[in-house]
Amino acid sequence: MKISNLRKNYEHFALNIESMEIRPGRVYGIIGQNGCGKTTAMKLLAGLTPPDSGSLDYEGLTPRDITMVFRKPYILNDTVVNNLVYPLKLRGITPHNGELDHYLELAELAGHREAYAPGLSGGQQQKLALVRALIFSPKLIFIDEAFSNMDIESVAKFENYILHRQTTHPTTWVIISHQLSNIKRLCSYIYFMYNGSVDAHGAAEKILSSPENANLRRYLQHEGM
Amino acid sequence: MLDILHDTEIIGVITLTLRMTLLSTFISSAVGIPAGLLLERSDFAGKRFVVALNRTLMASPPVVIGLVVYLLLMRRGPLGFLGLLFTFEAMVVAQVLLLTPIICGMVYTAASRNAGRIRAFAQTMGANSRQTHVLTARELSNEIYFAVVTGFGRAMSEVGAIMIVGGNIRFHTRTMTTSISMLRNQGEINQAIYLGAVLMLIAFSVTMTTDFLRRREQRTDENF
Ligand SMILES: Nc1ncnc2c1ncn2[C@@H]1O[C@H](COP(=O)(O)OP(=O)(O)OP(=O)(O)O)[C@@H](O)[C@H]1O
Ligand SMILES: [Mg+2]
Repeated sequence: MKISNLRKNYEHFALNIESMEIRPGRVYGIIGQNGCGKTTAMKLLAGLTPPDSGSLDYEGLTPRDITMVFRKPYILNDTVVNNLVYPLKLRGITPHNGELDHYLELAELAGHREAYAPGLSGGQQQKLALVRALIFSPKLIFIDEAFSNMDIESVAKFENYILHRQTTHPTTWVIISHQLSNIKRLCSYIYFMYNGSVDAHGAAEKILSSPENANLRRYLQHEGM
Repeated sequence: MLDILHDTEIIGVITLTLRMTLLSTFISSAVGIPAGLLLERSDFAGKRFVVALNRTLMASPPVVIGLVVYLLLMRRGPLGFLGLLFTFEAMVVAQVLLLTPIICGMVYTAASRNAGRIRAFAQTMGANSRQTHVLTARELSNEIYFAVVTGFGRAMSEVGAIMIVGGNIRFHTRTMTTSISMLRNQGEINQAIYLGAVLMLIAFSVTMTTDFLRRREQRTDENF
């Protein structure tokens, strides 16, 4: 997708993204300090909030092809398995058991199939939300700190899963994370945001190992690199 | 002890009370729930005023509502030709005017807290607009249920409005609350207490049963 001159003004914050390009089948990272506008930008890109001005060209993608997973996901007031099948139900698809088991295993929730989902722990809820977003095979997936409550092993498991899935079902991912290890393993291209706009961007290895932008250098320093 | 309300009469009073309560709760829910949901998702010039008006009506004193309905329905009133004063229907009208703002307001409050998140979620899942509305109502079902039960409780216990528009006429518009009020005036304290206990029992058993039928409790602990 292509983004140009995207603007959104709030009382105490202004977002201004001059241009951004998200090419199919690649994994993008958005990084930057708290309050720099990552979530705001992502909600605009995902079509969840309308911009004040600017254009978003989805290049043929429809809203049904796009999803977004939040740090604190919305969990339906229902069982784990009913949460998982919800996006399929919306599409009139009957899931087969093997598929459900596969995703429940991935989320380590196989033993909680019939459990009341809002009663799950924070990390379990994030895992559920992630597999719920994967099960309907969207073409463009936005991830906003959706691993933040998971244990290290689970994060690694999902990273491996995503990397493997990219070889079989290439999907476009845009990932916000404060865990740089996460970004480094998954993303091939990085947008660094500062104060409401994209301050630096480039291929991940290059921009993360030898950042030319002073703000990015400072950010990476503080992130303990 | 002199029985002012004989056994068969008591049964009649109880049935009338339940009929009135259920019918008014049903009508008020049928109007108030959609109105509350609609109010939350619409945006128009006078919205803040409508919300404020709703809040005011939620707290309107039953006797005042009763008086208004009385003035409308009295023989020389604008709706006098309907001949509804001192009937079952008049009591239902007064009850509906009392309950609808309560149910609407409670649903609106719950919806304004949660519906935004629910809609955003629905969109990320690819729901169309009908599916989004269904999901919103379903996810708010606990709150909607609570609003309806609150309305039911109000209707069941209310006395001021129905006394004015119903007139506490024997075999006709005499309900449990108007009976209790009347018995107390007549000094029949024991019977008033007896009827009061029955009223409490019915109210409790109705809410307990519906509560029991709703299997799941919402987890409210947000700090995980
Ligand atoms: N709906 C809104 N109304 C008013 N201000 C908003 C709104 N949404 C976001 N903002 C403001 O925009 C700024 C950026 O918020 P945003 O959530 O995009 O930051 P972020 O980069 O995601 O930060 P974090 O790393 O903490 O998640 C904040 O100052 C926030 O207060
Ligand atoms: Mg954020």
